[in-house]
Amino acid sequence: MSTQGIDFSRLSLKDALDLAVLIEEEAKERYEEFADQMEQHRTPEAAKFFRYMALNEAKHGEELAARRATLFGNQGSSVNRSMLFDIEAPDYDEARAFMSPRAAMQAALASETKAHGFFVAALPSIQNPEVKALFEELRDEEVEHQDLVKAELAKLPPDPAVSDEEFVDAPAPQ
Amino acid sequence: MSATLEYQAKDYKSELKPIWCPGCGDYSVVQGIYRALAAIGRPPHEIAFISGIGCSSRIPGYTTAYGFNTVHGRALPIAQGIKMANPDLLVLAAGGDGDGFSIGGGHLAHLVRRNMDITYIVMDNQIYGLTKGQLSPTSQKGRQTCTSRFGSLEEPVNPLLYMLAYGAHFVAQACPTDLAGMAAIIEEAIRFPGFAFVNIQSPCVTYGEEAQQMKGLKAIQESLKALGHDPADRLAAMDLAQQYGTKMHLGVFYRNPEPPATYEQLVRERQAEQMKNAAPRERILDLFIKK
Ligand SMILES: Cc1ncc(C[n+]2csc(CCOP(=O)(O)OP(=O)(O)O)c2C)c(N)n1
Ligand code: SF4
Ligand SMILES: [Mg+2]
Repeated sequence: MSTQGIDFSRLSLKDALDLAVLIEEEAKERYEEFADQMEQHRTPEAAKFFRYMALNEAKHGEELAARRATLFGNQGSSVNRSMLFDIEAPDYDEARAFMSPRAAMQAALASETKAHGFFVAALPSIQNPEVKALFEELRDEEVEHQDLVKAELAKLPPDPAVSDEEFVDAPAPQ
Repeated sequence: MSATLEYQAKDYKSELKPIWCPGCGDYSVVQGIYRALAAIGRPPHEIAFISGIGCSSRIPGYTTAYGFNTVHGRALPIAQGIKMANPDLLVLAAGGDGDGFSIGGGHLAHLVRRNMDITYIVMDNQIYGLTKGQLSPTSQKGRQTCTSRFGSLEEPVNPLLYMLAYGAHFVAQACPTDLAGMAAIIEEAIRFPGFAFVNIQSPCVTYGEEAQQMKGLKAIQESLKALGHDPADRLAAMDLAQQYGTKMHLGVFYRNPEPPATYEQLVRERQAEQMKNAAPRERILDLFIKK
């Protein structure tokens, strides 16, 4: 997780909203990629969960984009996707073939926690009070997202005493 | 930084969905390549992306550049042919440690001494991934695999030191543990006027060793910039490169501050020189007529 070329102390509300939209967009795309990977590797339950996460990120992104449009219309932006590296998007390394729904949810929880950490770390540098309020709101929403994933985790039946992993052969040489 | 880049990373992403194992380091590498290409801003149709065979060698297919997934170990000869045929193309070559340092290892020295403006990215995972986990030339001594049940008896090659010793003018190392750094290094390598080599430590989550996964790599990573390394100092670069396998240095080991002419430039100069004394086209046959 990192950013490049963003001066948080001079971030305007318009750019902060754009940044938030881009963060959601990045996360949505990554969850879609993860869902594709799971479908590719015949792991439909994890795929279904990642699609659900992609939808949530998209919804949140749309809300933020609508706010931005109301406040600033189509004024240009000074932030773009090249400035973000995996803020709320789960790291590629989080995915695994045949991951259980629980493992998929834990990966999502890790990235929501990561995003929360991003807003917490950025807040002290922010000068503009409106941006500060927005970042506090986004930080708190990340906690809500974590709760959402935790609620999904709670719905899972308890893990079987013996895990599927124990019945999987080690990768075979060709 | 401008907010409206002419090209964005997504413009270099193809419709083809990668079939790498979930978690494979190569997913991050292709992202780094998209970002570097967007920063450079050449349209996809002006880019030729050539690879050999291996999991990593699937990479051109996941980009919108013209691509050729060639023959095992033969990315570099084909990339050179393409560069000679059309020197205006941006030519990228990529592949795995097996592809580049084993079966294709003989081509490295010759491309280095020819110095064509090609960027070569190796996804070094210390294993043959595609063929399901045999020893590769960068596997550590003692490594147990299906072809080395009792541990490898061979010393690994050191690709960084090899390339520096061959005389490469740009040698760097990157890793998905630092995505921003990786994209910047790939961009710098592409911008370098001449042959550029980037070794990327890209974990194989299926057959790779624990120590070579993201967590293990993070523990041994060290930024060359933070160490105060001067990339113009080739001997210092060789010194640092010796730690390949124990430390993972990230950044540019060596960048020749005065890059020599590329092979393509020399060929153009030679052609221009020869043209001065060349017979006019309509008199060419006269050269073969005995006076
Ligand atoms: C001439 C030839 N020899 C052997 C092979 C079998 N083969 C395919 S890929 C590969 C090695 C792949 O390892 P690497 O280049 O490190 O790529 P990775 O899959 O690890 O990314 C081998 C030996 C082949 N395809 N062609
Ligand atoms: S076998 Fe290894 S290198 Fe190949 S796709 Fe899977 S994780 Fe990546
Ligand atoms: Mg390999």
